[in-house]
Amino acid sequence: MPSKSRVLAVHFSRLVALLAFLVPGAGSALAAESLPQGAEVIAEPFEWLTITNSMVMVWVVAGVIILVSWLATRRPQLVPSGMQNFVEWLVESLINFFAGIMGEHLARRAFWFLFTSFVLILFTNWAGLIPGVGTIGLTGENAPAGDQFRPFLRGANADLNLTMAMSVTFFGLWFYWSLTEIGPKNFLKHIFAPKGKFGLGMMVLMVPLFFFVGLIEVLSIAVRPVALMFRLYGNVFAGESMLETLMVMKNVPDLLKWAPALPFYFLELLVGFIQALVFVLLCAVFTKLMCEHHEDHEEEHGSGEHDAEPEDGTPETTS
Amino acid sequence: MPIDSILILAAAAEADSGGGNVATEIFDTFDVHWNTFICQLVNFFIICLVLKKFAYGPVMDMLEQRRKRIADGEEKLKQVEAQIAESEKNTQAAIQEANERAKRLVEEAKESATAVGEKKTQEAAAEAKAILAKAEEAAKGERDKMHADLKKEFGRLVASTTAQVTGKVLTDEDQKRINEEALAEVDS
Repeated sequence: MPSKSRVLAVHFSRLVALLAFLVPGAGSALAAESLPQGAEVIAEPFEWLTITNSMVMVWVVAGVIILVSWLATRRPQLVPSGMQNFVEWLVESLINFFAGIMGEHLARRAFWFLFTSFVLILFTNWAGLIPGVGTIGLTGENAPAGDQFRPFLRGANADLNLTMAMSVTFFGLWFYWSLTEIGPKNFLKHIFAPKGKFGLGMMVLMVPLFFFVGLIEVLSIAVRPVALMFRLYGNVFAGESMLETLMVMKNVPDLLKWAPALPFYFLELLVGFIQALVFVLLCAVFTKLMCEHHEDHEEEHGSGEHDAEPEDGTPETTS
Repeated sequence: MPIDSILILAAAAEADSGGGNVATEIFDTFDVHWNTFICQLVNFFIICLVLKKFAYGPVMDMLEQRRKRIADGEEKLKQVEAQIAESEKNTQAAIQEANERAKRLVEEAKESATAVGEKKTQEAAAEAKAILAKAEEAAKGERDKMHADLKKEFGRLVASTTAQVTGKVLTDEDQKRINEEALAEVDS
């Protein structure tokens, strides 16, 4: 438990940080320390539980999303308007978008992951641009040892731990969805089996060739989560670093410190949206690429194979 | 394979060839720690569950309800349209039946009227014929009577004239004979 003086110091430092943000130029002193590569620890209540500033950011954004959704759906109207209309539009647009890529069945099955990822990435990216994120925190003697400034909030996707968590989750789900959609045999056939019709002699030649191609495919599959997590992290971290660097540029009058970064805020709004879209789009495409094989073999297995499968892959507790 | 993945793998391979622990080096560089990662993983799952429960779950239910309601509405509309079509068909059939019935009644009325007219005409003709016959009979009776009177008067006149011309008194037998001769001449 933090001591009383520590709590007071935190509150005081928050006030100082807020003032520093509001007073032009003062923020630059806090931001003089460059953006660290990873998220910083805010609290560590247990040895195994680490709360970082990016985690807090995710909670805040998730809380806002939940609040908005709750407000929108607490008194549903037959003819929607206002917030209900917006939320319905968002959900319906996304499910139609994914259904266009993956088909209705897969889209509904994977929607819980794709929707959460898209909304969370998008709004955490945009929330990272709100003034105060990365500029309000512990300073001076209140900051942990060896650190001049520790912000309470950080752009959540500028933390590889989060992007890796989402990528690894997708990787696991991708395996699960692929295996349950097409079965282990077709899963392996999809990767290693020769594609096309060959004569016996040609088939003998093709088998080792396609086996080698399969090994490359395995490597490609293994790299996908790495690519997903680093793409998202790299883009968001680069954007935040750029904005921070632009705001502490020398030879710019204190009153105009905000000006160089302003155009890039609009760019970051776009990047935030594009990165969210790219992440879920790739997840949808990767899933579709493996599961589309299922349709070729559906006649072999009979159509009733997946009737018992839940439409939604979420755990039972949610339904 | 995306180009950034290739670069990462290439960097990893290069570092690995140098004997360093690449994964650890990358994780250290980017501040990735197992406990933080696990926390983020659990965090993400919890957020998935909570968002499903409070965010898109109710919305999906609402959309499904609306879709169902629209589908039901369309189904009812189809039923109503079918009922209207059926009703129109029935009405049309009823109108047609009524028309046919009315036509049949008119035909029957016409036939009946013709039959009555013919009957009346026949009756009138028969009546007229009867009247005519009666008139003819009456006329004949009248004529016969007049004929008899005339004969009688003529006989009397002939007898009277004969008596005056001859100046003698005629007996009944003479009168009878003279009358018969005169009537025979008149009749001829």
